[in-house]
Amino acid sequence: MSTLGRILMVEDDPRDVELTLTALEEYNLANEVVVTRDGEEALDYLHQRGNFEARSNGNPAVLLLDLKLPKVDGLEVLKQIKSDDKLKLIPVVVLTSSHEERDMVASYKLGVNAYVVKPVDFHEFVNAIKELGVFWAVINEAPPGSVRKK
Amino acid sequence: MAEWKPGLPKPLSEIQGYLLAVFSVAVALGLALLVERLHFSGVQVPLFLFAVAITSWYASSGAAALALVLSCLSFDYFFVEPIHSLTMTRSDLPYFIAFASFSLLVSWFASVRRRVELELLQSRDELRNEVVERTQQASLLNLTHDTIFVRDMSDVITYWNRGAQEMYGWTAEEAIGKQAHELLHAIFPVPMDDIRAELLRSGRWDGEVEKTRADGTRVVVASRWSLRRDEHDRPAAILETNNDVTERKRREEEIRTLNEELGKRTTELEAINKELEAFAYSISHDLRAPLRHMVGFTELLQKSAASILNEKSQRYVGIILESAKKMGNLIDDLLAFSRIGRAETHKKLVSLDEIVQEALSEVRHETEGRDVVWKVAALPAWFGDGSMLRLALVNLMSNAAKFTRTRPKAEIEIGCMDQKPDQIVIFIRDNGVGFNMKYANKLFGVFQRLHPLESFEGTGIGLATVQRIVHRHGGRVWAEGLVDQGATFYFSLSKSKGA
Repeated sequence: MSTLGRILMVEDDPRDVELTLTALEEYNLANEVVVTRDGEEALDYLHQRGNFEARSNGNPAVLLLDLKLPKVDGLEVLKQIKSDDKLKLIPVVVLTSSHEERDMVASYKLGVNAYVVKPVDFHEFVNAIKELGVFWAVINEAPPGSVRKK
Repeated sequence: MAEWKPGLPKPLSEIQGYLLAVFSVAVALGLALLVERLHFSGVQVPLFLFAVAITSWYASSGAAALALVLSCLSFDYFFVEPIHSLTMTRSDLPYFIAFASFSLLVSWFASVRRRVELELLQSRDELRNEVVERTQQASLLNLTHDTIFVRDMSDVITYWNRGAQEMYGWTAEEAIGKQAHELLHAIFPVPMDDIRAELLRSGRWDGEVEKTRADGTRVVVASRWSLRRDEHDRPAAILETNNDVTERKRREEEIRTLNEELGKRTTELEAINKELEAFAYSISHDLRAPLRHMVGFTELLQKSAASILNEKSQRYVGIILESAKKMGNLIDDLLAFSRIGRAETHKKLVSLDEIVQEALSEVRHETEGRDVVWKVAALPAWFGDGSMLRLALVNLMSNAAKFTRTRPKAEIEIGCMDQKPDQIVIFIRDNGVGFNMKYANKLFGVFQRLHPLESFEGTGIGLATVQRIVHRHGGRVWAEGLVDQGATFYFSLSKSKGA
């Protein structure tokens, strides 16, 4: 692994956060994960404002986005990112519990880069997270301006 | 045209006229000779004049002329000197001329009278015919149940048919001669001046008018007016026909109210549907998340505590995981089931052959390693929602595959029967474990299962889903089976778009 891109995870459920981080840890992908707990916080992070005013510069290599979020929901976050010139290049992966077709259609219409339904089965879940992490944080060439760890 | 009624003298024929001339002159001559024998004088001429007059009166002018000539000759022969000779003296000539002139005058009067009489008779007959014709027409108008009446230009009713009497309750005797607006208290949709202007311009007007019956009730009529003009092109009368549209108006109003209610109900249903959708959406998110956590953390527990868990505890952990997964499947199936109820059907002409093949490729992996013979008959193209029909077929074929698992050689047949222009029946027959017909009604209920889970897994939603899909295609679904002797599932599809 030459470089590891920073992963921004937007997830309100601490258990999902824990499971996801555990899955990523198994493959040493967890140390560059930033977790925000709602849509507003995610946007604050991306815009370097509020609690994140002092964060280091650069966009995440990938954003793992839950759809059902407090305050600003996932689709709204996606819409704002994809309509913002400074953020629109960030790859966004929707990671959700729902099979709802309308969410999927809405996400793709807003320009999502991938749409993943979290499997109930833990092994499948770990595999999905691992593959996502490896692909987006390692294999994929992140757009210019992304934070990468040598 | 001439039509002679009994009681009137029949005109004499030409021959009868001449005979009358001869006869009347002969009678006059006889009488003249008689009075001469009785020594009366000066009566002969009036007698002959009388004969000529009678002939003129009853017969043609030719006969009258004959009577005149015969009278002159008879008078000359019998009464003018020299007697019994047709010669006459000059002094007698003015006498004859006066006689002839007088006779001609009488004849002329008679012929004028006859002509006048003839003309009178003719016009009487014409009048009578016209009266008959008009009476017939009027009685025809009376036959119709449509309301027809005529008013003159000062709004006085001049004709009133039976339909008018039926609608308004006034008899013709009561209505004719009355002012129409006083009788009917009409309320017009537009100002009267506009109606009159339209009537004079185009000769007609129509509109809905509210009027009052004799008993005081109101009636809404579709009113059509036609203007009649006299020979000088002046407006003479208005013919008005009315049809009762009160009932139609009431129905229109009823339909409008019903539509409004329907609209309200639709809005309500839409709201309920939205709620259901939100409910399903929430289940899809919120119910799966804790399940995922249960499975995830149990797995983590299993891993971290593997060394201290004995065999029994390991089994418990295994059961927790299995149950959670089962619940996950249940939630997924239920959500799919509810989605079918909510989703709009996109119906078009689809190839049932292709759909069966697609379903077969989905189901085939479930039967890997088994000896399964699929017999698929040719199926027609039909009107329906392709993805829904595929789901129904996958469920039915997957069921057939599942319940033939105990058979060394499974045979599953798919075909159609009872094909009609507007309906088709598809069947899926298997040689599996079958079922007791006693429970056939339970097959299609949600969570209904006829077999213990240990023998055949499943959530009990598959056939409920099939039923819902078939109902949305205006069809029905049913099954026949015998324990251990296979089962056949049938579903019908109707072709109507509305179903």
